[in-house]
Amino acid sequence: MGRRQCGRKGFVMRARAYRILCGGVGGLLVVAGLALLQLFLRFHSAGFSGEQPELPVPFDAWAVYMAAMAGCACVGWGGSLLGAVRGGPAARTVGSFSALAFALMAIYRMIGWIVGEYAGFARLLRMEAVLFLLIALAFVWLRPPRAGMEA
Amino acid sequence: MARLLGSLVLLLLLALAVGLPRVPMFRQGAEEGVARADVAGAVGTVGERLPDFTLHTLDGARLRLEDLRGHRVLLAFERSLDW
Repeated sequence: MGRRQCGRKGFVMRARAYRILCGGVGGLLVVAGLALLQLFLRFHSAGFSGEQPELPVPFDAWAVYMAAMAGCACVGWGGSLLGAVRGGPAARTVGSFSALAFALMAIYRMIGWIVGEYAGFARLLRMEAVLFLLIALAFVWLRPPRAGMEA
Repeated sequence: MARLLGSLVLLLLLALAVGLPRVPMFRQGAEEGVARADVAGAVGTVGERLPDFTLHTLDGARLRLEDLRGHRVLLAFERSLDW
């Protein structure tokens, strides 16, 4: 009986941790997405104000175009994670694909690190890769069992 | 089972991300401000005379530094994909 209660408690704590993870990461993704989108707007605002915008890295027009597209995707992704906080059968799938996305983001950073093209940001790339892999692991470990989020 | 497999893959990637800088082959040109131990001291300092060396030109001919003596020489180093 006690063992069953303990298992139930562990399940509830895991579900709560998963919701916090989804909410936290989802919120950050929405903010990051909007930040990427405003890069595009800032870059092209130079055409109206005549001033050269100060961007964190030397973007060109196509780079901000791609950044804006990635930003919009991040807003959608973050929204999906925020939706997963409510639970439901889709919450598990959102976590699985979020783990995959974070793993892919880590892999392309590691490739960028190996290639050496971004040598000025080498340490940042590795730190980001490690962080994203840890987040992916958290999604894998805290992901509820099938039908677990329906409760 | 899927959780175990996913965790193993991610842990492997994590080990790679942490351990890559310790692999000499991957350290070349990737770490900022780090001099390679195998070439440190191989080239002289500014103002010092370079030791003679031989290179292969694009058409396969051999080119010695000594053959260019008396001419102005510009050495340009560029990273290639097969480093």
